[in-house]
Amino acid sequence: MNILQTTNLTKYYGEEPVQVKALDGITLAVEQGSFTAIVGTSGSGKSTLLHMLGGLDTPTGGSVMVDGQELCRMKRSELTIFRRRKIGFVFQNYNLIPNLTVYDNIVLPVELDGRSVDISYFHEITAVLGLSDKLQRKPNKLSGGQQQRAAIARALITKPAILLTDEPTGNLDSHTSQEVIGLLQAAGKKFHQTIVMITHNDEIAQIADRIIRIEDGRLAESRW
Amino acid sequence: MKVYKYALPGAGILLSAAGCILAFTQIPESVGRAVLLIILLLFGILDMGYYFYFRRKFIDFSEEVCCHAERIMRNEEDRTQHNQETLVSKVVMELEKMDEVMQSRLSESSREKENLQKIISDTAHQVKTPLTSIRMYHDMLSDPDTDVNEKERFMDIIRQQLEKLEFLIDSLIKSSRLENDMIRLNMENSSVFHTLEISLNGMITKAERKKIDITIHCNPAVKVMHDAKWTAEALGNILDNAVKYTPERGNIRIDVIPGEMYVEIKIQDTGKGIAAGSYNDIFKRFYREASVSKEEGLGLGLYISRNIISLQGGYIMVHSVPGQGSSFSIFLPNRKNI
Repeated sequence: MNILQTTNLTKYYGEEPVQVKALDGITLAVEQGSFTAIVGTSGSGKSTLLHMLGGLDTPTGGSVMVDGQELCRMKRSELTIFRRRKIGFVFQNYNLIPNLTVYDNIVLPVELDGRSVDISYFHEITAVLGLSDKLQRKPNKLSGGQQQRAAIARALITKPAILLTDEPTGNLDSHTSQEVIGLLQAAGKKFHQTIVMITHNDEIAQIADRIIRIEDGRLAESRW
Repeated sequence: MKVYKYALPGAGILLSAAGCILAFTQIPESVGRAVLLIILLLFGILDMGYYFYFRRKFIDFSEEVCCHAERIMRNEEDRTQHNQETLVSKVVMELEKMDEVMQSRLSESSREKENLQKIISDTAHQVKTPLTSIRMYHDMLSDPDTDVNEKERFMDIIRQQLEKLEFLIDSLIKSSRLENDMIRLNMENSSVFHTLEISLNGMITKAERKKIDITIHCNPAVKVMHDAKWTAEALGNILDNAVKYTPERGNIRIDVIPGEMYVEIKIQDTGKGIAAGSYNDIFKRFYREASVSKEEGLGLGLYISRNIISLQGGYIMVHSVPGQGSSFSIFLPNRKNI
């Protein structure tokens, strides 16, 4: 089943003749439970693509379907709720809230939605990500790798339909990068989570089941 | 609904307060009693209203949820309750999520079936090649015109093909058992160095023959939860490739690096290397790089290695510079909970 589907997605900036085609007709589908890496050099349009997939930006043309729902047709308020319930984000710079403990940071998206936290699921996630003994610490007392793991836990806690990550290891050294990426994959498998990861790094991308390459806003290669 | 929620108890409190004031002020007893009675009556009516209102609300809520549950079971779409801040929307979206999880489990099992079929057809194909050549040489042997020298050569070829067949079938049995989770892993917190030793045992002679220098950098105290026998097999397959594809007088270096979450076993060689685009392919079943088709092999070694490592919650990553060598990093979780 395709959890994510884009059809002829385009994003243009500016007007002719100085128009920049950040995305130029991207059609792709991501299967439920798979780990997909979108690889491209900087300026290839990969981050723009991720913003479209997560409903953070509106495309010039084409459509994005996540879990059977068309993002472009939603009202702003609907989109906000949809993102909160259906999409998890992990960015390069963690984005943890500094004056909240790791525990509070992780459960934040569930509490924002006015729901109560599934405690056994919470403990499972934090155990897999090696955070069980760090829950009462503040983010600045954690290493970069640990902070990113907390960010992954926060993205997983809502059981989103899809987890979008943008250069999740961009700020980490190579050994820590490999650890974090291994844990991301392990967590994805364990919790049947669909993951889409944006990266410029082939070494990191090799952990994915499928690699999609984009160049100049177009799909260059897609293989399993 | 929110207005009522506060208005009703608010009114109740006001009435009770009025009652209290009345009770303590100097009003004729009969008037006071009548007023108190009226207040109590009003209070009772309000309470009843309060009760019926929320009962109705609750019934509406459960009816709506039931309605949606039935709709989900019938596989019908209805987006009216999507992305709202209401309780019904939250429950309905959770129900739909649950349905999706069930659906995806179903499709997973059908995918497994497809996968099994593919394994069978791949295997049949692999077995056929040596079988065909055995039959061909056998036919030639039966030919009375074949001379003795040639006969011996054919016998040799047949023996080689039979060995290949045997090795192939052994590997296939192993990989199918791994794939169907039929092996029992004997996980123990034991020394990585010891496991490396086991995996190197079979490799030493081959490496010596090619004058390849093998160095190990490992603290013997490093321990990790793993199955020594199967892990040694996984490492052995990687080392076997390293020896096979490293030219004479090359080097193989093994480092064991304990990390926070995983222990990394890094095997570096000075062999021919792998192009970045093939990193994922080399772990696929029966995959052989076009440039190594001369070398002996089935394309099962790394596939088996990856399966063994992922069964233990670990993973393998490759780094390589073509022409200079490859490095395989095997990560094993150093905790029990993966």
